[in-house]
Amino acid sequence: MGIAPEAQVETIAPHEARDAGTARTIEKDSLIGKRIAKLDAPDKASGKTRYIHDMNLPGQLHGKILHSTRVHALIKRIDTSKAKALPGVHAVITAEDVPYQRPLGVSKDHMPLKGDRVRSMRDEIAAVAADTPEIAEAALKLIEVEYEDLPPLYNVAEAMKPGAPVLHDQKPDNVAMTFDYSHGDVVQGEAESDVVFEDTFKLHYVTHCCMGVSGVIADFDSAGGLMLYSQTQVPFLHKREFAEILGIDPGRIRIVQPPIGGGFGSKLDIYPFEPIAIFLAKATRRPVKLIFSREQEFRISPTRQPVLLTLRSGAKKDGTLTFRTATTLHDNGAYTSWGATTPFVIMQTISSLYRVPHCKYHTTAVYTNNPYAGSFRGYGNLQATFAVEQHMDKIAEAIGMDPLAFRLKNAQDPGETTGQGMHFKSCGFKDCLRTVAERGDYLRKHAENIANQAKPERYKRGVGMASMLHVGGGAKIYPSDGCGTIVKIDDFAHVTVMTGASEIGQGSETVIAQLVCEELGVPMEAVTVVNNDTDVKPWDVGVHASRTTFIAGNSALGAARKARDKILAVAAKATGYDASALDLRQGTIVMAGTGEAIVPLAKLLRSLHFSEKADLVMTTHYYEPPSEHQDKGFKGDVSAAYAWASQVIEVVVDTDTGIVKMEKVWGAHDVGRVLNRLGIEGQIEGGVVMGQGYALTEELIVEDGVVKNPAFRDYKLVTAPEIPEMDVTFIESMDGEGPRGAKGVGEAPAICIAAATANAIYNATGVRIQTLPYTPENVYRALKGVNR
Amino acid sequence: MTVEHYYAPKHLDEALEVLRAGNATILAGGTDVMPQSESGKTPLRKTLVNIRRIAELTGIRLAKNEVRIGALTTISEMMANDLIRKHFPILAESGDHFASEQIRNAGTLGGNVCNASPAGDTLVPMLALDAVVELAAKPNGSVETHTTPLGSFLVGPGKTRRAQGELLVAIRIPVPPAGQVQRFFKFGTRPALDISAIAIGLAAVKTKGVLSHVRLAYGAVAPAIMRGSKTEAVLEGKRLTPELIEQAAQAAHDEVKPISDVRASDWYRRELMHNIVKRMLIDVHEH
Amino acid sequence: MSTNIEIRFTVNGSPRTVAVPPEMSALNMLREVIGLTGTKYGCGEGECGACTILVDGMSVNSCLLFAVDCDGRKLTTVEGVVNEPAGARVRDAFVQAGAVQCGFCTPGFVVQAAHLIDTHGSKLDPETIKRGIEGNLCRCTGYKKIVEAITAAAQEAR
Repeated sequence: MGIAPEAQVETIAPHEARDAGTARTIEKDSLIGKRIAKLDAPDKASGKTRYIHDMNLPGQLHGKILHSTRVHALIKRIDTSKAKALPGVHAVITAEDVPYQRPLGVSKDHMPLKGDRVRSMRDEIAAVAADTPEIAEAALKLIEVEYEDLPPLYNVAEAMKPGAPVLHDQKPDNVAMTFDYSHGDVVQGEAESDVVFEDTFKLHYVTHCCMGVSGVIADFDSAGGLMLYSQTQVPFLHKREFAEILGIDPGRIRIVQPPIGGGFGSKLDIYPFEPIAIFLAKATRRPVKLIFSREQEFRISPTRQPVLLTLRSGAKKDGTLTFRTATTLHDNGAYTSWGATTPFVIMQTISSLYRVPHCKYHTTAVYTNNPYAGSFRGYGNLQATFAVEQHMDKIAEAIGMDPLAFRLKNAQDPGETTGQGMHFKSCGFKDCLRTVAERGDYLRKHAENIANQAKPERYKRGVGMASMLHVGGGAKIYPSDGCGTIVKIDDFAHVTVMTGASEIGQGSETVIAQLVCEELGVPMEAVTVVNNDTDVKPWDVGVHASRTTFIAGNSALGAARKARDKILAVAAKATGYDASALDLRQGTIVMAGTGEAIVPLAKLLRSLHFSEKADLVMTTHYYEPPSEHQDKGFKGDVSAAYAWASQVIEVVVDTDTGIVKMEKVWGAHDVGRVLNRLGIEGQIEGGVVMGQGYALTEELIVEDGVVKNPAFRDYKLVTAPEIPEMDVTFIESMDGEGPRGAKGVGEAPAICIAAATANAIYNATGVRIQTLPYTPENVYRALKGVNR
Repeated sequence: MTVEHYYAPKHLDEALEVLRAGNATILAGGTDVMPQSESGKTPLRKTLVNIRRIAELTGIRLAKNEVRIGALTTISEMMANDLIRKHFPILAESGDHFASEQIRNAGTLGGNVCNASPAGDTLVPMLALDAVVELAAKPNGSVETHTTPLGSFLVGPGKTRRAQGELLVAIRIPVPPAGQVQRFFKFGTRPALDISAIAIGLAAVKTKGVLSHVRLAYGAVAPAIMRGSKTEAVLEGKRLTPELIEQAAQAAHDEVKPISDVRASDWYRRELMHNIVKRMLIDVHEH
Repeated sequence: MSTNIEIRFTVNGSPRTVAVPPEMSALNMLREVIGLTGTKYGCGEGECGACTILVDGMSVNSCLLFAVDCDGRKLTTVEGVVNEPAGARVRDAFVQAGAVQCGFCTPGFVVQAAHLIDTHGSKLDPETIKRGIEGNLCRCTGYKKIVEAITAAAQEAR
């Protein structure tokens, strides 16, 4: 068991440390911008990685949930006696059987188990724990529920009518939430305008479609402590919320995060299945595993926020934007999850993507008996950008300016502070615009396609442009936007980085390891990242708002710098050189100037550890970005940095069928700086294709509160043969606050696609379609002018 | 009902013996039976008969003036077969639009027929090519077979005229007459992994610009794959002209009876019928 | 509950005998009975390819395959694929190309890719690859790097 005792006799004599006769030199070699393979990839590609679905605890039971079969009804009676009598069933619970539960969610309007009333087809009314999933499923069928139907609200218009049924007593007008923002005076802005347009845009339901379905394992220890194996993206926030929902001491909740099969924002909120699994574990005193089927994943998990957005914009003849007014109506669904708060982001694009002197924004989120929306990569920005960028084209055309010049005239520059208080310290927006326009040969094609519109050809070609602004340095939507890191280095120069950040497949652990390696001069193989256990890792807000590389990266960098300082100080003391003359390269202390190897890091660390004044290299760092919490008027510099991107898309429209083929996407992304080129390319490419699905193929069809296409056969994700050619350019604006200059990028690539596609279809056909998605039938109908 | 008996016979004779007793689910590739039983749409019956080990149901052979395709032929095998590629290129082509490679490697032609989906990918070309199905049974101690045209075998969604105790053993398609042109179209935004909104198969003999022996088959526009007999009548024996083509396209538009569902509306399906039949006939006219 | 059926087959080269209910899918048998969890459940309907395995050298969706139909056949899962040099090359190509993000779909892609390379060899071009993986869904990568990984692995297969 013991460590080799030879370690104890290693000493380093001053000025004699160099390994005699070797005189090896090590060149300085940076990892930044290189293509670094993901640390978790080999196990994932071998089928070795254990996702929650692959875990089984000894003595584990399987949980299943009974969902409502009614859209809106009173529960008159639930009889679980037959289910309880089924052999192999260990617990059947309803709201009545749960000793304590409190509402969850953004507005605390959502009880995990519904006792007296259901408000949507996804409402949870009972749950079973049994020896096998099959027995649990069979038991659900034995539960008898008697309903009394209530009048349903299938859309926002019905829900807002006076006298409409009230879904939540505390909100008698069915308005779940409102947002109001303004700067300047839009009346004045309109008066100064030469052209004014008002249009309404309709954005549809889509859902995350994580390839790994939702699941959880809950287990209590004998002292009442809860161990939760969870897919959450925000473990520390959820500890607190679970404690409130369940009436447990948050200090007794430990969340372990096995690798997850995709997140994209879907795991940012607690949904009822998690507390219900905990209730079942409590009731049975056994570990309970609860995993969705794919059909449940479609029916029960959150969606992207559907939005009805009315945009009014104006400009002067010289191309100066004068004002912008936006009103959005959100179908909130039966309960409030993060979708309701997408106005935070929608208003940023409305107010600040372009320079708008006068701006006003209002949102109403309205309860209905439909599915509720959660957060989803891009978070309101796909919706806002879809409207804003179509108006940019429309105004440019009206005033006779080319669409690129019009955008450049109104695009933000570095150093500007917008009406909303966002301060753009680094801003590569104009570079992004010029780059995609040039690479995509945008202006020439745009003019040529317009000239071809009238020709009788079946296939029409079009190009469209759109840009986006998104937070790139975290988002201070909580009082803290911080992240902690612990770095420890063992006797063999193996580095363990305990980071608050969660890995959700996006590559955060690899980029964090890379930043630490760069600082400590150790190879990637020498680093382990621990990021999945709330009892081990330091506080972090969670994976959202494209914040992990920026926030957790800065945090890791801080801890690594402290470790580096300590190592060099020890080395200086041991060797007699000044610390500033030394450097760390390839796991070796070298002379900074010549690269001459002095002593292996491992040897130095052992000498420290086993010296008389024994010490370890173990450092901590907490990073809190220099951003502001917004005031009540939603003003403030909410992020420490902002990310920019422009995309040009070329499409071919088949006028015989309405099929839109996305041929090529050019993207220019101001990412601050490329850290892991492989990782960032993967984020962009994946985001582009996710945006393609949003624009062209995906729609969760909800009719009368019911999801009509809960399967991949009719909910069409983009498949490999459909992907466009992708040309990505990185604009490196070297953000002063970002880790080695980097900014966040996770959400950016998906945001512009639908907007640019809209403009491309218009360029091809002369028909502007303001409703998504651009499925063949929807496009064909628009071309023919035939409504549904 | 849960399965009480499972059989995996190696000979047709044994399989027919088991089927005679009734209340059996026939299993071949499993690509339809598994999801349909899992979802509860078509529960498994008391007896599960796995016919995949019956050698008599395999192979593709030229006999007299027809090609006999064993019911167990997978979609992948069908697509790779030289006889099929030579005589029935549109059947091979339909395979290329069929689900995904993994499903083509398991799913069988016989299964695609017996599943009787209104959108069944291979059924459209087979109907246009005058396919007949060969059915076997063992009613009185000896194996008897008979054939029936595919068009009358398919009744409605999931419904065929296969009688209890019968097994579909092969599909037979006549070798096409000289000068036959074939066309296939499946509507979709991607090459495969897509359930048709419409599909069209065309076979006709083209002589000096005149079409004869015209066969049109339409998928996903009626409860079962249908023959476009009114469109055929417009075209039969006539010289292809832009006017005739428009007339035929309109006939196709008018004679289908599509439904509206999550995949497409009836209106859109009819529009597609018109536009695609037109494109197809222009293509035949020009080549 | 129905009677279990005893079946014999080889999985990743080892002979196995198990008793399974006739309704069970090969996917559930592999995961729950045998304990090979590299093969993933993504949809249970043959629409996503996360459960792709090789049966007698052909790639199929194990969620659509009845476990009883494995009797007498040769099964290879991702664990077996990457244990062979050709499969290990595919895995390494996925890692190097950045074709793995959340990784949940990856085992299915690796198996299907190994099958495509086995079928087409170094002639495998990107268009054929895209068609060959049309039955495998990925929500993270946008497929581009997956196609590049398979192209690279096919080049090495010469």
